[in-house]
Amino acid sequence: MKKTVFLFLIILFLLPGLAFSAGQQESAEEDGPITLEFWTHEDPNRDALENRYVEEFMAENPGVTINRVTHSSKKIFELVLTAFAANAGPDIFNMQIEQAYSYIINGRVAPVGYAAIGYSGPEEMIDQYIEGSMGSVYVDGDLYGIPLELNNWAVFVNKRVFADAGLDAEKDYPKTWEEMADISEKLILRDGEIITRRGFDFRYPYYLISMVPMVEQLGGKLVSDDGKTAIINDEAWIKFLTYMQEWGPNGRNLGSPTYKNARKVFNMDNNDVGMCLSGLYQEARIRNDNKEFYDSGDWMVIPYPTFENAVNDVANTFYGQYYMVNAQNSDREIQMAWKFVNYMMSHDEEYLKAVNIIPPTKKLMASETFKNMPYSDVFVNDLARANVVYTAENGAKMEELVKEAVESVMLSGIAPVQAHATLKAKAQELLNEM
Amino acid sequence: MAKEKIKGRLERKLARWGLAFVAPSIAFFSVFAFYPISKAFYTSLFKKNLLSLKKPTFIGLENYRYLFGSADFWNSVEATFVFSIGTFLPLLIISLMLAAFIMNISKGRRFFQISYYTPAVISSVVSAAIWLLIFDPRGLANQWVNFILHTPGIDHRWLAGSITVRVSTMIVYFWKYIGYFVIIFIAGLANIPRSMYEAAEIDGASGWNVFWRITLPLLRPTVVLVSIMSMLQCLKTFSTQYLFTQSGAPQGPINVITLNIYNTGIRDFRIGRASAMSIILFAIMLFFTWLQFRTSRSDEVSY
Repeated sequence: MKKTVFLFLIILFLLPGLAFSAGQQESAEEDGPITLEFWTHEDPNRDALENRYVEEFMAENPGVTINRVTHSSKKIFELVLTAFAANAGPDIFNMQIEQAYSYIINGRVAPVGYAAIGYSGPEEMIDQYIEGSMGSVYVDGDLYGIPLELNNWAVFVNKRVFADAGLDAEKDYPKTWEEMADISEKLILRDGEIITRRGFDFRYPYYLISMVPMVEQLGGKLVSDDGKTAIINDEAWIKFLTYMQEWGPNGRNLGSPTYKNARKVFNMDNNDVGMCLSGLYQEARIRNDNKEFYDSGDWMVIPYPTFENAVNDVANTFYGQYYMVNAQNSDREIQMAWKFVNYMMSHDEEYLKAVNIIPPTKKLMASETFKNMPYSDVFVNDLARANVVYTAENGAKMEELVKEAVESVMLSGIAPVQAHATLKAKAQELLNEM
Repeated sequence: MAKEKIKGRLERKLARWGLAFVAPSIAFFSVFAFYPISKAFYTSLFKKNLLSLKKPTFIGLENYRYLFGSADFWNSVEATFVFSIGTFLPLLIISLMLAAFIMNISKGRRFFQISYYTPAVISSVVSAAIWLLIFDPRGLANQWVNFILHTPGIDHRWLAGSITVRVSTMIVYFWKYIGYFVIIFIAGLANIPRSMYEAAEIDGASGWNVFWRITLPLLRPTVVLVSIMSMLQCLKTFSTQYLFTQSGAPQGPINVITLNIYNTGIRDFRIGRASAMSIILFAIMLFFTWLQFRTSRSDEVSY
């Protein structure tokens, strides 16, 4: 009896393993119908547009079915990752380049099917896009993504908040980080220690995008050019951390990561915040959330500030969302997927008009549509002095280390010198481990 | 002899039926518990990148060796224990007190039961989101505390200070689970025969004596059950800490083991190391469950 029970348990134990071991994706037949799973993040402005492209593409290509599925922008990274880990990733997906880079270097995404989309090779395709925008998806002589959007952030200003504090936004807007702190001090309203209206506040979860350029202005770097040394130029990092310490509740108390995201409250114009950091897409969001404020003209966009004694003229880092195609499919499916992505992205001007996102083609950037977008010149000028975001397999961990350092000086009362030393040691250990 | 033979046959028949009845549960646990545990242990012996298509490298116990020498992992162990002890003990004591209070009132018993239990049906993510609003510098937490302490305008930094952020996560968990354990204690208290209390009353025992000498000893199985369940819940805590760190709270003080597992596996793609952490957490949970059973000796109570 005991033997029977034991055998029974062994079989039960092994059953799931056998059941779950078959994780490879099935491939379509040589000439049968094709079904493509297309996962993207939620964006109400983009949904209508892309659903239409799906319909049009399917009508033009009988036998092709495209299932467009949207996921929350916070969740899509996890969902795509777990799907790929189980060898069941979507056929087409988009992701921010800091996250997508790992998919490229781990062979999870297919090189662009140049012939399928009418290019002779990567060089001809790169030539269609503005300088630097394809660098992060160009690996070992091949391109692995078609850009959906390229973003850089500038400072959005609420003129009404300036006027309420007796300032003229057009003249008094901050040009340097030092002025940013001083003007924020004038705009801020507090109930004791509690801030009821912030002048400006940073975009805290995005330390690599929005704070590393501040260090670069002071001559510092996250990682050396050869990729072997982390946290370059101690003085620059300590100065940056000191600035953040002064910004936080233990310093001048101008803002903190624990307050509601400044970019989100900006649109409401509820006297919550005077300035925030965001991309051109913010304009469409203001229009959607608060048409009265959008039409009033009581907002404007100013360039990303620099430190008074900056040694490098660097604006906010730019990053991109790229459409990618799963490499674990048949060649026929891969080529069809690229064809569909290219079909969508051939409507670059429509993306700009309807969604306010910038597919970075030279044609679009030179178009009247782009030039007529409010403050598009500010973003273009800032883009010219911007670096691309740090992309490496350890990018997310590196961002956490910078976050830890900034939070430790802002919230935990750690001295900038000490926070810098910890950051440097941990970041170097991380690089060495790679 | 023949009698024994018949008895043996009957026992075998009963055992076969027993096996048939437990088979669905064993199958369920095999798929959703045994297999993931064994797979996690197997994975923990490899250096494996979650995204890589390359064959993982066998490294034996290297992941465990790394973790036991990692300050970051020990910080997670500390954060987990601080949270567990800070939540588990108040949960156990106060839920028992509230259950005793509810059992002793004649009116409004059902109202209190529902009131305490309601947060338990809310998902962990939603409850953490509610408390994020309360702990916002301009939220209700500062307003209440400043009103009570007559300290207008003070920001108690519920999500910013290294101690306050720990307390905040404990408050969320305590609020969410207190009602659940109160209901379990009420069920336990209701099982104690009324005659015991009547006898004690006739003997002139005070309320205090009745609680310590009758209620608590007879409630021991429920106390063991609640303590094991609440301890395991606390050791597994994740969503509150995850949501708080996503909303700007410093990670260090609340970087519990489960959060570290998530970040190591999902964010950093180091699934081998994350698996090793999950096996260590499993061992910790197993040890505390065993310890609680052992210290309670017997949960059999006869009236």
